Amino acid sequence: MSKFRDALASGKFTFTGEIGPPKGTNVGPVIEEAVHYLKDCCAAVNVTDIQTAVMRMSSLAACRMLVEHGVEPVLQMVTRDRNRLALQSDLLGAAALGIENVLALTGDHTTMGDHKEAKPVYDLDSVGLLQAMRKLESGTDLGRTMKGEPNALDGTPRFFKGCVVTPCAEEVEPQIIKLEKKVAAGAEFVQTQAVYDPKAFEKFMKSIQHIKVPVLVGIVLLKNAGMAKYMNANVPGVVVPKDIVKRLADADKKEVKKVSVQIAGELIRDMKGMCQGAHIMPLGWDKEIPNVIAASGA
Amino acid sequence: MIVADRKPLEEILKHVAGCGRILVLGCGGCVTVCASGGDRQAEHLAAQLRLAAKGQGRAVEVTVKTPTRQCDREFLEPLRADIGPADAVISLACGVGVQLLAEVFEAKPVYPALNTTFMGAHTGPGTWTENCRGCGQCVLAETAGVCPVARCAKSLVNGACGGTNKGKCEVSKEIDCAWYLIYKRLKARGDLSFLRAEREPLDWGKSSSGIRRTLVHPELTDTVPASAPAAPKS
Amino acid sequence: MPGRQLTSAEYARLAGSGALIEAEWAPCRSACPVHADVRAYLDLIGRGKFREALDVIREVLPFPGACGRICHHPCEQDCRRNDVDQPAAIRDLKRFVTERDYPEGQKFRKPVQDRAPVAVVGAGPSGLTAALDLAKLGYRPTVFDRSAAGGGLLYSAVPAYRLPRKVLQADVDAILAQGVELKLGVEVGGALTIDALRSQGFKAVVIAVGLSRSRGLPIPGADAQGVELALPFLASADSSGPRFAGKSVVVVGGGNVAVDVARTAIRLGAVRVQMACLENEKEQPAWAWERHEAAEEEVATLHRLGPKRIVVRDGRVAGIEFKAVTAVFDEQGRFSPKYDESKLTTLDCDVVIFAIGQESDLSLARGTDVKVDERGRLVFDRNTARTSAQDVFACGEVVTGPGSAVEAVASGHRAARAVHQFLTGAPINLAESLPPKVEKIAPATVNRLLKATRAAMPTVGAAERRRNFAEFELGLDEAAAMQEARRCMSCASGPFVLTDKCAACLTCRRVCPFEIPEVKEIADISSALCQGCGICASECPANAIVMASYGPDAVQKEVGAALAVLRPDRLRIVVFSCGHHAPATRWGGSEAARPAAVAKEIYLPSMSRLSAADILAAFEAGADGVAILECTSGACRYPTVDQRLRRRVDLARQLLVEAGIDGARLSLAVGGAGDPAAASKAVAQVAERAARQTHKHG
Repeated sequence: MSKFRDALASGKFTFTGEIGPPKGTNVGPVIEEAVHYLKDCCAAVNVTDIQTAVMRMSSLAACRMLVEHGVEPVLQMVTRDRNRLALQSDLLGAAALGIENVLALTGDHTTMGDHKEAKPVYDLDSVGLLQAMRKLESGTDLGRTMKGEPNALDGTPRFFKGCVVTPCAEEVEPQIIKLEKKVAAGAEFVQTQAVYDPKAFEKFMKSIQHIKVPVLVGIVLLKNAGMAKYMNANVPGVVVPKDIVKRLADADKKEVKKVSVQIAGELIRDMKGMCQGAHIMPLGWDKEIPNVIAASGA
Repeated sequence: MIVADRKPLEEILKHVAGCGRILVLGCGGCVTVCASGGDRQAEHLAAQLRLAAKGQGRAVEVTVKTPTRQCDREFLEPLRADIGPADAVISLACGVGVQLLAEVFEAKPVYPALNTTFMGAHTGPGTWTENCRGCGQCVLAETAGVCPVARCAKSLVNGACGGTNKGKCEVSKEIDCAWYLIYKRLKARGDLSFLRAEREPLDWGKSSSGIRRTLVHPELTDTVPASAPAAPKS
Repeated sequence: MPGRQLTSAEYARLAGSGALIEAEWAPCRSACPVHADVRAYLDLIGRGKFREALDVIREVLPFPGACGRICHHPCEQDCRRNDVDQPAAIRDLKRFVTERDYPEGQKFRKPVQDRAPVAVVGAGPSGLTAALDLAKLGYRPTVFDRSAAGGGLLYSAVPAYRLPRKVLQADVDAILAQGVELKLGVEVGGALTIDALRSQGFKAVVIAVGLSRSRGLPIPGADAQGVELALPFLASADSSGPRFAGKSVVVVGGGNVAVDVARTAIRLGAVRVQMACLENEKEQPAWAWERHEAAEEEVATLHRLGPKRIVVRDGRVAGIEFKAVTAVFDEQGRFSPKYDESKLTTLDCDVVIFAIGQESDLSLARGTDVKVDERGRLVFDRNTARTSAQDVFACGEVVTGPGSAVEAVASGHRAARAVHQFLTGAPINLAESLPPKVEKIAPATVNRLLKATRAAMPTVGAAERRRNFAEFELGLDEAAAMQEARRCMSCASGPFVLTDKCAACLTCRRVCPFEIPEVKEIADISSALCQGCGICASECPANAIVMASYGPDAVQKEVGAALAVLRPDRLRIVVFSCGHHAPATRWGGSEAARPAAVAKEIYLPSMSRLSAADILAAFEAGADGVAILECTSGACRYPTVDQRLRRRVDLARQLLVEAGIDGARLSLAVGGAGDPAAASKAVAQVAERAARQTHKHG
């Protein structure tokens, strides 16, 4: 059923976009933007799950709304907030609601968000969540009956399971080892952390040649030079090269958005030969996604 | 070692506001070692209680005692004479000691002076850091002696999350990424097989998240002395 | 000493008894013939407690003035600072405390004396010491001396440029003020025999006549005009005027008396003074420092010369001829000079002074039951300090042979004990079991210690001092003395560990600036290495470390005493000041600036011992504010104390604030102890904040 799976299977360079549900019930604008700007150019749209531990409307609900508007969602699922009971329960719910694409994530720590007092759960890690999905797909779950036998599900779901990786981490070997484990646990696609250095990405892709799942390179739109510098300083595994920072810094204030789109487009253009797609994280500049894709020449 | 931290005086005072005689009990065990609940800290608290009372124009009689440790009944029994006349007991033990004290001297109000925080080691001058969370399923054999349960902010079992940053945790630049350390140590040993192995989720039922745990050594459980008379039939 | 460990119960029993501080002695104290508690009095000096320091000295040494100048200070030879830099200037510090004007004056308590009269013959250091001890024990001692003043050879033979007469007189006066009667100009053995003393009611006699006669040499020409003997020469020297003007003098002898003679001869106007002795430079018995001073004054020393004859011209000395000395001592090390008569040396001179040794005048024993042996020495049992007569005892050089003043004092103490035991009917037993001496300090620890230059004694230049009999050492000033006292390493004053309390937490090890505590089952703190700073005792979370030199409540007691002198209806500010800079709290020399009515200073040897608990206790005891004056950064002999203190003050302030006390009522003036203006300001600020909160006023 997943068009996203099919798109990747077709060998066509595939785009995914991303939206964040609102902090509140006013979900209309974000769904509208997704329909307006992402529906046509993206095979699927990721819906973040309480991103950076800042409380928001549930990803599952927003995903269902996208389904209703004809947009294929990728349900992002972090292990931070729910134990294995709740995660599996929500996975079954997602399947029932027609949501097949699931991206397994650990999730930023609670202390990074706006509810620092919250109890972090992390009952499972991202590998554990992928294992859980595979179990569900096999008609059982992570639990046991009173007799110690596997539980049997009444109706089994099917997922298109994804995971993430940070290609430009300063220590890449553990990233690759963990990616191997995620794929072994059932991951079928990979969306990466933001990449700004095609050369480094190429090196990374060579080192994971043995991993036979499609990779969508992560593209985060840089809104200005300040943001680029901030990411260099604070975002793990993200390196924005100096020349990109300079282009943003030198750009006229009115032109920054254009330059940003241009940069993102060029990055995709430079890397599309290395991977199977691009995951564009517009951080609110949803309108620009079509421009980025256009600029990439894809 | 169990590490604990002094509660603010204000919180302690709330409980003993009307008390004329207070017994402050240090603990000669772990909390002495981490310098939070030793005889010295008990004396500091006693001085604070007296000064605070004086500031309010009240007199309070505060006595300080520090048993060898508070987590064994045998060390608590000799305190009976001191506890008797006290209106309240403030314990600078960890939660274990406070509870045992409250149990042994059930009629006496016992208040904690510390927040029990973690099991840890001395990691620098005046600094103690958590190293164990008592998960009941030690994985240190596979993780080069670095506990991912206690030392990874997310207790991950399959490797670092995306937040690992130059060897530090996403939560704080002061905190080492446990999985970075594990990787480095295993790498140095030339064997990353433990890191590569896909691990099942932990059994949190065995951990402190589960039900109250008990340890029984059968060989140390009570036996009836040979010479003891048989229990009378009721 | 291993096992400086105690149970709490043992500590409770021993605390305050002195047993802990007496468990081991510092090497200075072991080396001192009277075992003066050097560590204790240097500690007091370092805290500005000069009078108290002098009292400690006087407990065992009735001649602090004299010994502060002329003592041969074996304490300094054994000082463990020798292994670090230079020894503490103990003798100079002793002198310093004797030179202060104490507001309370030099008051001495006359003891109740209801015991028997005792006669002491000879008013030198040993006789006066024995008499003083007996007076303190309640006896009624009378000291007889044929001289015109007390002090024995200190009076008659030690030149005034080394020991001013008034200094010695002050020592003697202090002794007399404590119940000793001195009869001068009385010769025992003449009209007043020992039997006569007995019949006058003296129940015991102590012979302390010393070595009062100089030996001469029966060589040809020894009777010529211009040949003199050391003791008569010295006795009259400073009043005899420049009688050697233009003359050349040869002093025969190489001992300390010979050096005194030579330096005195220089002062009498001699154009040339040469000392000629049997010994070579190494063997020469005079103290090196005195020889050095003599050389500065242009006294020449010639070695390996044995007097052969005086060259006489017209009945007067014209020179002295010497034969070469090939050896002074035999294989057993006994004095047995060998000469080479073929090698002769003649020194031209106008005066020859023999300073080759002294002997005693035992004419008082003649015809009594006090026996003298065939070699002319008193029959004497050193185990009982008794002569052949059971009620006659002896002490000092007459029985010990030539020695120093402090050794004579030690001998006097023994005689007094013997007399006391005799008169109370006890068997005489003078055996003493002294505490062991603390071990040598290990090089690893030496390397961690801060070096500190010894205070140099200011002196009058040789060119000037050789012209007169004025004292040539000028004494340390207060700042120098306090600084110097702080160089004391407080040997063996360190901690004991309470075995039942120690949790082996390692805090002591971690806070020790010298990494001395070893923690195995429990902490073990080597007294040989410990510097006595007390940081560990003030930080130990188990309160398991107790200092030998002060109790856990020592600071709190001082606070109590300080508060007691302040009016409770007014503000009371306690000022903790590093003793290192005690004078700084003279408020810049301006008493007007001192908030005297509200503040009282407590000097600590180092802020190392001031704990957070002590600060809290001061407020509990009624202080309205506490100002802490820390010495200038880096001035403390213990590294890290400044940072440690800051953390303790921060902790105490946090605890105080929690208890509802304005944190500004506790202040720490960094460098304040060395900066009177900063000290004044800190105290004033604390007082102001305290006044606001307590509504009390100065």
